[in-house]
Amino acid sequence: MANITKKVSWSSRGDESGGGERTPLLNGSEEVRYTRQVGLLSGEGGMFHIGRLSTVDLEEDMTSDESSQGHHVSMSSIDGVKVCVCVFQSLDYDNSENQLFLEEERRMSFLGFKCLEISRWVICGLIGFLTGLIACCIDIAVENLAGVKYYVVKQNIEKFTEVGGLSISLILWAVLNSAFVMVGAVIVAFFEPGAAGSGIPQIKCYLNGVKIPRVVRLKTLVVKVCGVICSVAGGLAVGKEGPMIHSGAVVAAGVSQGRSTSLKKDFKIFEYFRRDTEKRDFVSAGAAAGVSAAFGAPVGGVLFSLEEGASFWNQMLTWRIFFASMISTFTLNFFLSIYNNKPGDLSSPGLINFGRFESDSVAYNLYEIPLFIVMGAAGGLLGALFNILNYWLTIFRIRYVHRPCLQVMEAMLVAAVTATVSFAMIYFSNDCQPLGPDQSEDYPLQLFCADGEYNSMATAFFNTPERSVRSLFHNPPGSYNPLTLSLFTLTYFFLACWTYGLTVSAGVFIPSLLIGAAWGRLFGILLAAITPNGSVWAVPGKYALMGAAAQLGGIVRMTLSLTVIMVEATGNVTYGLPIMLVLLTAKIVGDYFVEGLYDIHIKLQSVPFLHLEAPATSHWLTAREVMGAPVTCFNRIEKVGTIVDVLSNTSTNHNGFPVIVPVLGKICGLILRSQLIVLLKHKVFVELARSRLTQRKLQLKDFRDAYPRFPPIQSIHVSQDERECMMDLTEFMNPTPYTVPQETSLPRVFKLFRALGLRHLVVVDSENRVVGLVTRKDLARYHLGKHGLEEMQLAQT
Amino acid sequence: MFIVQVGALLIALTYYANAQTSVVAVNTTIPGSEQSASGLRQLAAAVVPQSSVFHPSLRSQFSLNLLSAFPEDLEVSNYCVALLAIFGQRYSTYVNCLVSAARPVKVCQNCYGTYGNLMEIYKNISDQMGPGNVSCRDSLLRSDRLMLVFLLYSNLEDIWTASECNRCVSLRHHSLTNDTLYFMETLNQSLSCFEKYQKQGNHSELCTECKATYRGLNELYSRMEKNHTLCIDIEDSMNMTRILWSKDFNCSFPRAETVPVIAVSSFMLFLPIIFYLSSFLHSEQKKRKLIHPKRAKSNPSFINIQDKFS
Repeated sequence: MANITKKVSWSSRGDESGGGERTPLLNGSEEVRYTRQVGLLSGEGGMFHIGRLSTVDLEEDMTSDESSQGHHVSMSSIDGVKVCVCVFQSLDYDNSENQLFLEEERRMSFLGFKCLEISRWVICGLIGFLTGLIACCIDIAVENLAGVKYYVVKQNIEKFTEVGGLSISLILWAVLNSAFVMVGAVIVAFFEPGAAGSGIPQIKCYLNGVKIPRVVRLKTLVVKVCGVICSVAGGLAVGKEGPMIHSGAVVAAGVSQGRSTSLKKDFKIFEYFRRDTEKRDFVSAGAAAGVSAAFGAPVGGVLFSLEEGASFWNQMLTWRIFFASMISTFTLNFFLSIYNNKPGDLSSPGLINFGRFESDSVAYNLYEIPLFIVMGAAGGLLGALFNILNYWLTIFRIRYVHRPCLQVMEAMLVAAVTATVSFAMIYFSNDCQPLGPDQSEDYPLQLFCADGEYNSMATAFFNTPERSVRSLFHNPPGSYNPLTLSLFTLTYFFLACWTYGLTVSAGVFIPSLLIGAAWGRLFGILLAAITPNGSVWAVPGKYALMGAAAQLGGIVRMTLSLTVIMVEATGNVTYGLPIMLVLLTAKIVGDYFVEGLYDIHIKLQSVPFLHLEAPATSHWLTAREVMGAPVTCFNRIEKVGTIVDVLSNTSTNHNGFPVIVPVLGKICGLILRSQLIVLLKHKVFVELARSRLTQRKLQLKDFRDAYPRFPPIQSIHVSQDERECMMDLTEFMNPTPYTVPQETSLPRVFKLFRALGLRHLVVVDSENRVVGLVTRKDLARYHLGKHGLEEMQLAQT
Repeated sequence: MFIVQVGALLIALTYYANAQTSVVAVNTTIPGSEQSASGLRQLAAAVVPQSSVFHPSLRSQFSLNLLSAFPEDLEVSNYCVALLAIFGQRYSTYVNCLVSAARPVKVCQNCYGTYGNLMEIYKNISDQMGPGNVSCRDSLLRSDRLMLVFLLYSNLEDIWTASECNRCVSLRHHSLTNDTLYFMETLNQSLSCFEKYQKQGNHSELCTECKATYRGLNELYSRMEKNHTLCIDIEDSMNMTRILWSKDFNCSFPRAETVPVIAVSSFMLFLPIIFYLSSFLHSEQKKRKLIHPKRAKSNPSFINIQDKFS
């Protein structure tokens, strides 16, 4: 009982501090007042931390970067909402042009550069090939597992329809679902939580320049692939398309490095590409290949990468990414054709196949365009509702369902309930349709229908979501009656909303399409019923497609890439205009209420995500107010002890340190934590170099070998004598870091960060002395809220 | 000078080409018969007299005027006309048969013979050489835009294909397949069973008594479905039987277990509520450490910062 009251007090505190945090940022004093407020509000546990951590802080004066300039640390129950988390680091997209780099460039011949260019193409080809192969495996595995499951359940239902005891079939179905989902949830929750969800938010962040821990590991890929197979086969309201994008990205990150750190295997190839700049480029190719394999949309894939990672881009890269996309969809196609015993028949380009919209009846007319726009608006509204519900649910999950075993249980319950609801729907449905000659239904359930008829609700529920989408698009008019469709839409909407955000790897594309296709088809049927000669032009399949586009657009709010993906997936360019209009309306209407689902989840993960532009009305903020100060700087020749102390300070996990000329304090370079660690590991000390003349000179290769998992500072042993040595940073630092004067406005700084992919931006005064350091988190904190510009809190973990 | 040369060359070429076409289609003798005007031009190119006199340019001018009767080389041969007549006869027989077998569908079992005949004659027209190496393919099938004979035949062929009759009829259209006959037999058993109990007016008894035969029929049907040996006749008769069984006799399964299904469903639906409530009450809420970043004061003087730094 005491426990409960404690909870209540916590949550109430959360609300209060929430109010404090929303105070518009007017000036510094406001901010200070708030700091005090949180301090006072913090409970027993929190107080202790404040005391301990702030004393640590007082000891060290000169700290810098990655903006976690911890001053006061307080406990708070604000979870995920409007908080930036410090575990996320930026990618080092900007190349460090130190002397080692220049030397290597000088040594490399013309042929060497040509080889690099060729190997980039080879890597892109490999990425496409492997991504396509993975997509193929997922497809086949899902098909077979789901096939077995539905076969067993169908046999069971048929048996019990006759002799009675259908509740046993219901339980069997629920248990089978739960079992599949349990496997999927266990591997995700216990082995690799990073593989949860669709992975698109994570990849968006990565392409945006944030290094999400463990997001592009081999283990993540394995868990992701197995997880998605389990969750789709487990009958959850999910799709396998979103995870494909993540898988493609992981493949890209792995292949381009020519080694696997997890498997401890180094192929000694592609060593040149072992840095963030190159890796990020390849990851964008991988994401494109993933989209392309998922939807059979190579151009859509390229545009997806362009849309999500457009800040750092060049034409040659676009062309290479397109190559990867094409190879990916071709590979999938080819292997699926072999699997289907039609080798060489390249007609199943994506995981989801919308089927072909080709006949004359699906042409559209000018007078239908307003109808499409209305559908777009409806999609926007429903999408916003979906997002808001999912947002609340996700907050609840972050707060209360954060232990792995609870997460597994939740996933299993959702699976069981999905089966139950589906079964109940099918059981009580009276919609019987005659069996078609072409057997478009893979698992027709008769149940209480007359012989030779099947239960129409079962085609929607008793099927993998992809097939349901296809039958909604293509089944002839009259295959569904309106009541069935409206019930289905309603149920599936809530199921999908409930399912997204579970600890299983699964995407939201297909459920959105399915919801949209269902109400779109309903719309088409009603339209045909209420208009004179409507049955001629109001083909339900066409409206199902538009509804699917509207719903998907309303939920994910992608624009250009989604239009192209839809057009490519339907294989019909004439639908370009209506789909664009639908998506446009859906986005406008949806954005009026709430952000897109992916953005919501990025925000809830508290990732310092830089949007396209700095928040409006932020020109009055200058770099001086945004930057972190004072900055921990190193001298050009610095004592090893100082460096080790700064690096091992746990409360300030800084990553970039301006290097200054000793007395004047003028900036002369910037050095990264990772570089310092490599230097310490190889003991590149001035004294040692003098005493041992034969010592091998450190090369860029040594830095690459340590990439991307630089050892923590604790693992590097530095003896007491060595602490007294000196380290010359001149050779290793970036001699020309970007700097801005203190008066630079926030939008200007923002543009530099977006366009150049910066990680650290040094703020200098008129004498070129370091006064502060701006990092990604300093920028991402500001966002436009209801009361003008707001500032987010920073948090550890 | 150049133009004149080219012109001359062109003329020569055209003449040569005309001569060539004439040579290709020499060997048909066609006595007078009525021809449609639309086929005229093509005929002129395709059918040329046996007489070895060539004056192509003159010929086309003359033939345009001869509307009442074409010169004999343009006419369709007697043999072909005869074939056409037979084709017409068999065609109408088959169509009559189809119409009479439309409902209930018996197009395969009743009409396979007539279809076989029709196919035979069409084959004669299209492939075989008649006496004196006469081929009627060109003159009957493809001399004009309409291609009526071909069109007529292909329509019927489409009907045949759509009805999947090939699956029920032996290869040479002599008889029905054994599978089909067996199915008919089983079907008759069921129907006679229905009839027997229907007379008694008691449907529930019918449902129990005929269940075995009806199920046997259903199983046979699904077996045949798997083997792809179904044609429209079988499908239709099965459909009719199923409708009889389910709708007329009302023998399909009743929705009898509503209560247990509702009970199990509501139990399942109840589980998540318990789960969320319990995790809400018993789970520890996750907390976050907030950090308040060090900032230069937002409106201090310049000197202040610089002092602090140096």
